[in-house]
Amino acid sequence: MNNLLSQLHFATAAEYLVPSLIHGIGVVLEATFFGFILATIIGIFIAIGRLFGWKIVKAFLYVFLEVIRGTPLLVQLVYIYYVVPLIINLFAAMLGYKTDVQIDPLVAGIAGLAINYGCYMSEVIRAGIVAVDKGQMEAALVLGFGRYEALFRIIMPQALRSIIPSLGNYLVMMIKDTSLLAYVAVNELLLRTQTFASQTFYTIEAYTYLALFYLILSVPLSHCIKFIEYKLSSSNR
Amino acid sequence: MFNIFDLKKSYGKTEVLKSITMRIDDGEVICIIGPSGSGKSTFLRCLNLLEEPTGGQIYYNGTILDNTLDSKRLRREVGMVFQKFNLFPMFTVLKNVMYAPMHVKHTGKKEAEKIARNLLEKVGLGNKAAAYPAQLSGGQQQRVAIARALAMQPKMLLFDEPTSALDPELVNEVLNVMKNLRKEGMSMVVVTHEMGFARDVSDRVVFMDKGFIVEEGRPAEIFNHPKQERTQQFLNRVLGGVSYE
Repeated sequence: MNNLLSQLHFATAAEYLVPSLIHGIGVVLEATFFGFILATIIGIFIAIGRLFGWKIVKAFLYVFLEVIRGTPLLVQLVYIYYVVPLIINLFAAMLGYKTDVQIDPLVAGIAGLAINYGCYMSEVIRAGIVAVDKGQMEAALVLGFGRYEALFRIIMPQALRSIIPSLGNYLVMMIKDTSLLAYVAVNELLLRTQTFASQTFYTIEAYTYLALFYLILSVPLSHCIKFIEYKLSSSNR
Repeated sequence: MFNIFDLKKSYGKTEVLKSITMRIDDGEVICIIGPSGSGKSTFLRCLNLLEEPTGGQIYYNGTILDNTLDSKRLRREVGMVFQKFNLFPMFTVLKNVMYAPMHVKHTGKKEAEKIARNLLEKVGLGNKAAAYPAQLSGGQQQRVAIARALAMQPKMLLFDEPTSALDPELVNEVLNVMKNLRKEGMSMVVVTHEMGFARDVSDRVVFMDKGFIVEEGRPAEIFNHPKQERTQQFLNRVLGGVSYE
């Protein structure tokens, strides 16, 4: 037993892996930061389009949402990274141009996260907008605001307030889902760990550190969100 | 100000306004009374195009209201006060009143604040500028809502049952503000169940039922000598069975 445990090399693994993982955190935060901001913007526009858009916009968004929610995030990431450039090159070739479009792994990863999360978040945002009292829109309209002005100035701030906690949960989920970016060659935590483990065979040690790093990222964040939720619910309104 | 011809409004197959024809003059105070579901509020909401009429014409100062019209323009001149106040909960009282002048009319901040503070003083809430709507009573909230509407310097105010959501003892503080507005010559159209206010303050009382104007006239005529049987019935009921015959 003792003999077996002595075969584990946590200290050695830490020496080489931990600095690499700390670098990887930068990538994770970058992907999450841009991914989440874009997802929120996409979510807001999808929500508004589905609530107030023309019929054709509504129909298009409905189909788009079905496609995104009906396919796994991992498949979407692979599709954006490997397939989309091929399609672009194919079309270019049909028009007589020879191109070799490639997408930067991190850009593809951020795009995939943003689109996928944007679709899920749009439903939450939509519910939040609908939950704002109808009288708020009318009050803004009779004061001379236009429909969209009223939406962004009066309705959205109230809607966002009520949905920030749920959006926060999506943020924590997104941090963990950045691990999927390993499959489109983003050098984030999982890919760094895989590389390290395959070179050193410190598999147990490496993946244990990986799990710890995700815990260190997500647990404080989810507590922050609980705190914000508490602050929002206790402030005056 | 308004000339209304054969105005109709229906939701699907439900006809709410069947045919409304009337005119509203500058400086007039009109009270619209009638049973629930008679179309009073719908009529009021057609005047500032919160509801789109499904038939007939409305002329505002000679301009026909249709979909080519810039409804924002109209609404700057014809303000509205709601039954449920609809103050913006995330803003202070002061910001509620300043907000539209600043962002719709692009009045400077200082100027807007000056106007807002004056108006709050006028409705008796000068000391509540920093409070949030949720910290105020219903009557106070409605007075803020009136100040907010006045801040856009409208030519006319529409009131949609402004006291119906209030505790009885708070009704008068709101009605008093409205009486003062009348003294200043503000044009007002008021949908109300406050018969005392309709009788004492209005120039003209309009009695509506089932999507029609049944009867209109000076308050004394309507309340003391209603010509239509339906008007008599309604008044008897709301005035506690006192006969005015």
